Amino acid sequence: MKAGAAVGRRAGITGKRWVFISTLAIMGLLLFVPSFHNDYINLTFRNILMYAAMSYGWNLIGGYTGYVSFGNVAFFGIGAYCSAVLSKTGIDNVFADVGLALVMCALFAIVVGLPILRLRGHYFGIATLGVALGLTDLANNLDFVGGSGGLNLKQADQAHFYLYYYAMWAVTLVCMLATFFIARSKLGYAFVAIRENEEAAQVLGISPTRYKVIAWALGGMMGGAAGAVFAPANGFVDPGTAFAVDNNVFPIAMAILGGMGTASGPFIGALLLSGVNEILQEKFLWLHSLFFGAIIVLIVVFLPRGLMYLVGLRGGVRRWLSDLRAFRV
Amino acid sequence: MQLFLQNLVNGILSGGILALVALGFSLVYGIMNIINLAHGAYIMLGAYLAWQLFTSFHVDPMLSVPLAFVVLFAFGYVVQRTVINRVVRAPVLATFLLTFALSLVFVTIALFIWTGDTRGVQTSYAGANFTLAGVTVPWAKLLTLVVALVITGLLYLWLHRSKTGRAIRATSMDVGAAQMVGVRVAHVYGITYGLGAGLAGAAGALLTLSYPLTPTMGDPFLIKGFVVCVLGGLGSVEGALVGGLVYGIISSFATQFDVTILGQHLSGTGLQDVVALIVLLLVLIVRPRGLVGRATA
Repeated sequence: MKAGAAVGRRAGITGKRWVFISTLAIMGLLLFVPSFHNDYINLTFRNILMYAAMSYGWNLIGGYTGYVSFGNVAFFGIGAYCSAVLSKTGIDNVFADVGLALVMCALFAIVVGLPILRLRGHYFGIATLGVALGLTDLANNLDFVGGSGGLNLKQADQAHFYLYYYAMWAVTLVCMLATFFIARSKLGYAFVAIRENEEAAQVLGISPTRYKVIAWALGGMMGGAAGAVFAPANGFVDPGTAFAVDNNVFPIAMAILGGMGTASGPFIGALLLSGVNEILQEKFLWLHSLFFGAIIVLIVVFLPRGLMYLVGLRGGVRRWLSDLRAFRV
Repeated sequence: MQLFLQNLVNGILSGGILALVALGFSLVYGIMNIINLAHGAYIMLGAYLAWQLFTSFHVDPMLSVPLAFVVLFAFGYVVQRTVINRVVRAPVLATFLLTFALSLVFVTIALFIWTGDTRGVQTSYAGANFTLAGVTVPWAKLLTLVVALVITGLLYLWLHRSKTGRAIRATSMDVGAAQMVGVRVAHVYGITYGLGAGLAGAAGALLTLSYPLTPTMGDPFLIKGFVVCVLGGLGSVEGALVGGLVYGIISSFATQFDVTILGQHLSGTGLQDVVALIVLLLVLIVRPRGLVGRATA
């Protein structure tokens, strides 16, 4: 709690309480998505949940600990490949998939994290990007994971199609709740203390390296779990899908838009961005990326600190405009 | 020895263009703290400009290089003044997301105008090369390297000798102090971003000589530029040059890497970037501020 005092009120660390409760309520509603019996809706929401889980993973290291990673897709890819390799050896069980992904991602995070988490700021970011790119190239060149041709998994029948939706839902819910409880624990305060001032945190007796590796590993496990469910649901894994650029950038964009360092931000961001993307894709097949990009530009220009800023804003439009003015030159 | 020399030359040849790509990225990053994810899109736009001029009017891509620089400089200046300057002091991730969205817009527009088909520029000297002491050197790549080095040199001189160049460097050191002595920061930021885009455009026009064109062709160069500028040290011309050459040489030698572990054959040609990235990680661990970077707080 020593570190906590520097951070501020308890409610501040996970965001507004009513927002989180609403988020949980929406999560509850999403449990009924399969009852539409519509494959398109099912797939769309499964993707939203997947991005939300990855965004939670990024949020722990990037949002709470303040170490902006550009390579969290590495964990998603590891998770996806864990499932693919298990399926190749004849094991098609989503619990085994997630279990293996959690173990592998945690190990990978510790081995890679110990050297690169010594780097600060942009240098850490570029190192993580390097890790993700290196893994992509490695996956392209390793024969036992199918090389650039990828691996086929057991094709999901209709019953499994819904099963994977629930699995993804469960993964996302666990990520959300884990973020909420971690943030309110001593662990979360340590993360935030490192974000606010690493030297001061160290003086308070927090070992930065240890807590940074923990945040990086926990976040990595979240991304890995999402990947482990994605692979069998998708039925196919190759380096292009497992380490897709979108899977790297979207979760970051979602966390920023929803609100970094909050327990509801990633989910809200995922819902919003994926929702907008889906609608645009349906309306303008050709130019949807143009409008999608333009909408993100507008959001960043008018809400550079994400939606959670708007929720916590006191002082109305005048305050908002004066805050915006502080960002321009 | 022959092989060693050939690899060295190949590395230097491909490193020159990487240095040019990284230079614009590094300036924008080092001076305004913007991770410019639209850099790849500017490379692509410069390349398509050169391609269009070549296809419509038979203009040699080499002649399009200055034009691509000017056009993209103006474009970048306008983008910075109208959009990015509005949030340039926000946390770095805001501009990160903003430039990502801008790049999405530019790439989609390019896809609309030029379609997703792979294009290429076929010059008369495309396949020509000469041999010196047993080392084969393609003319197009040598020309690219020379132009890249000339641009880098001119930029260095301009940044250090001209009034605007000094204003840019002053702004990167201390915005408040620069403002106090009369630097118009909004304008300087516009020029800096314009330079970044212009250098990317010039690099794109040069790349048409040896690379195929697609609307997403900038992505790998964006990532390599990112790596190179960190490898060399952020925000400095020397850093980008050293980083680019080192990256080029390492990935060139990596093609010789060829091992079999546990029956798994690993060939270096597919793993060039992995080797270069491992070197990057090692460099960062030993020198956290890059090869040329200074240890300032």
